[in-house]
Amino acid sequence: MIEIDQLRKSYGEQIAVDGVSLTALPGQIFGLLGPNGAGKSTTIGCISGLLTPTAGHVRVMGHDVVRDGSAARQALGVVPQEIALYDDLSAVENLKYWGGAQGLRNPKLRERIQAVLESTGLQDRAAEPVKRFSGGMKRRLNFACGVIHSPKVLLLDEPTVGVDPQSRVRLLDLVRAEARAGTCVLYTTHYMEEAEALCDRLAIVDHGKVIAAGTLPELRAMLDERDLLKLSGVFDPARVRDALQNADGVEVLQVDSELLLLSAADALKKLSVIFSAIEGAGAEVRGTTLTQPSLESLFIKLTGKELRE
Amino acid sequence: MRFLWISAWKDLARLRRDPLALAIPLAIPVILGVLLNLIFGGGDANPQGRLLIADEDGTLVSNVLAGAFSREPLSKMVRVEQVSRGEGQKRIEGGDASAFLIIPRGFQDSFFQNQPFRLSLLTNPSQRILPNMIEETLNIVVEGEFYLQQVAGSQLGSFQRSGPPSDAEVAQSSIAITRVFNGLRKYIDPPLITLDTVISPDRVQQKSFGAIFFPSMIFMAALFIANSLSADIWKERNSGTLRRLCATPARLATFMGGRVVFVILVLLSVALVGVLSARWLASVPVANAPGAIVWLALSGTLFFLLLLWLSLQASTQRGANVTANLVIFPLMMAGGSFFPFEAMPDWLAKIGAWTPNGWAVVRFKAILDGTDTTRGLIVGTTVLALLGAAVFFPILRKLRKVASA
Repeated sequence: MIEIDQLRKSYGEQIAVDGVSLTALPGQIFGLLGPNGAGKSTTIGCISGLLTPTAGHVRVMGHDVVRDGSAARQALGVVPQEIALYDDLSAVENLKYWGGAQGLRNPKLRERIQAVLESTGLQDRAAEPVKRFSGGMKRRLNFACGVIHSPKVLLLDEPTVGVDPQSRVRLLDLVRAEARAGTCVLYTTHYMEEAEALCDRLAIVDHGKVIAAGTLPELRAMLDERDLLKLSGVFDPARVRDALQNADGVEVLQVDSELLLLSAADALKKLSVIFSAIEGAGAEVRGTTLTQPSLESLFIKLTGKELRE
Repeated sequence: MRFLWISAWKDLARLRRDPLALAIPLAIPVILGVLLNLIFGGGDANPQGRLLIADEDGTLVSNVLAGAFSREPLSKMVRVEQVSRGEGQKRIEGGDASAFLIIPRGFQDSFFQNQPFRLSLLTNPSQRILPNMIEETLNIVVEGEFYLQQVAGSQLGSFQRSGPPSDAEVAQSSIAITRVFNGLRKYIDPPLITLDTVISPDRVQQKSFGAIFFPSMIFMAALFIANSLSADIWKERNSGTLRRLCATPARLATFMGGRVVFVILVLLSVALVGVLSARWLASVPVANAPGAIVWLALSGTLFFLLLLWLSLQASTQRGANVTANLVIFPLMMAGGSFFPFEAMPDWLAKIGAWTPNGWAVVRFKAILDGTDTTRGLIVGTTVLALLGAAVFFPILRKLRKVASA
C-alpha cells in the first residue's frame, strides 16, 4: 500500500511536486498520467526514497520512507524508466546482483531467478550478456530485476517506452499478474490506451499537481461522454469564438491561428453546423480529427494540451 | 555485509567480460617502459671496440704486453686481433678499429738491456673512450714492465744473454730474485701505504635501468587503473544502476565497500604480476615482494578513492574525465610516476617527493630496496587507511546526490 499525503518537492524556486495526495491499495494498479515534467518521476523518486520530500509524507506498507526508509525499501520494487542493467553481465548475473541488493539468499534467490526468467520468457537466453539482447528483452529483464524479491509495492516508471508490441503485451500481462498476486502497483505512462487497459485507478498530473483522480468510469464521467473535435487550418480566434457561441452543445476548448479544439456531445451529427459557423467566421479548415471520449480527451479538456506535448 | 561481496563479485565479473577496460591503462606504461628500455637501457652496457696488434717482436715480453688487453675487464670491451703492420695500417685508416698497436722487432732485447724503445699506438679519432682506455692500459703495462726491469732486470737479462739457463743458473737467479723481493718485503708486507677505497653509496648500488624505471612504470599503471576504475561510477550513474540501487535496502556504503575490495583485488593482481615480472624478467632487485605488492595495491586504492571523489565533483562524465586528467597527468609527471626521480633535476625531484604519488613511489622504492622497515610499512599503511577513510564518507554523500540528480 502506498499513502501519499500532501507531498511537495521543490528545487529552490522550482516546484516539481505540489501537494500530491493519493492512496494505492494492494492488488490495485494505480496509473499516474502526465506529460514530461509533470512530476511523475519526482513522485516516484520520493516514494522510492531516492529524493527527500520538501514537505508531506509518503508511506510504503505503513513505513515512512524518510524515517523508516530501509523497511520501506524492503517492501518496494522499482522498475525504472531507463534500462538499469549491467550490459556486460548475463541475465542471471544481473538477477543475482539485484536479488542480492534486495537481501535475497540462496536457495530462495535461485528459485526466484528461475521463476522470473520463466515468467519473462528469458530462460533460453539467461546466460547471455545483456548487451546482445533486443530492446524488448532488456525491458523484460529490467522488469524481472524489479520483481525478483516479490515486492509488496511495485513502482513502474514508463516501463514500456520503446518496446515492440509483443513485448508490450507481455509486460502488461506481467504487471497484471503482479497485481493479481496482491502487489500494489503504481504505474506511470504516456500511453493513454495502456492506462485505460491496465489501471484500476488513475491520477492525472500536470505541473506537479493532481488535476483529476478516480476510476476510469469516474474520469470518463467528467467528460460527460462528449467527443473531442480537433480542426487544423487558419482561424481568427475571436471571430471563431463568436461564431460558435450560438452553436448548441458545442464548447470551445482551445483556439489559436492554426488550431481549433472543440468538445461536443455526439459531435458527428453537429459537423455541418460547426463547419458552416466557422466558415462564416472566415476560417479555412485543412484537417479534422474526431476523438471519442477517452483519457486523452479528458486530459486535453483539463489541461488544454495533448499528453505527449 | 553479504552485499559487499556480491558487489565486488559483480565488478570482477564485469571486468572479466570487458578486460580491455584494464588492458588499456596497463598497455600505456608497458609500451612506455619498453620504449624507454630500448632508448636508454637496451643491450650491453659496455662499449665494444677492436684493438689491432702487429707484434713484430714475437717474444715473451711482447706477448706479456699484448696479453694485458686480453684480461678482464678490458677484454669485455676490447676484442684483440693480431694483424700485420700493413693490414693494421689499412684498417685503422679505414676506421675499422679503436686502436692499432705496433710492437717492433727488438722490443724484448731493449727491455732486458734497459734501453729506450718506441712502441706505436695509432688511435681512431672518431672514437673517444676506448682509444683512451687502451692508451691508459698500455701506459700501465709499460710502466709495470719498467719496474720489473728495475727490480729483476739483471737476472732476467742473464737468461736472455746466455741462452737456455742451466739448473744452477736458474737456482742462482731464483736466490737473487728472492733476495730482492725480501729486501722489498719491508715496504710491501705489510704495505707501508694503505689505500682505503671509499665508494660513494650511489656506486655501491649501481641501479639497473629496470630498477630505476620499474617503480615509476608500475605506479603509472596503478594510477591509470585507479583512474579508469573511478570513472566507472559514471557508467553506473548514466545507466541508472546507481539510482536503482538507491531504491533497494542495500546501503551505498556497502556498495562502495565492494567496489574498494574489487579495486584492491585488481591492484593486487597487477602488482603481483608486475613485481614478479620485474624480479624474474628484468632482474630488478626486490627485497620485500609481499610488502611491495601490498603497498602498491593499497596506495593505488587510495588514488582510486581520491580520483573518484574528484570525478564526482563534476556534473558530467566528460567534465569528470577532464578534471581527473588535469590532476593525474601533472601529478604523474612531477611525482615520479612518469619519469623516475633519478632522471629529474634535484629541485623537481624534491618537490615531486611531496606529491601524494611521489610519497607513495618513494616508499615503494624503499620497500623494493629493503631500506624500509616493518614499522615504516605499518605506519605508511596506517596513513593510507586513514586517508582512505577520510575520503570514503564524502564520496558516499556525493554519490547519493549524483544518483538522484
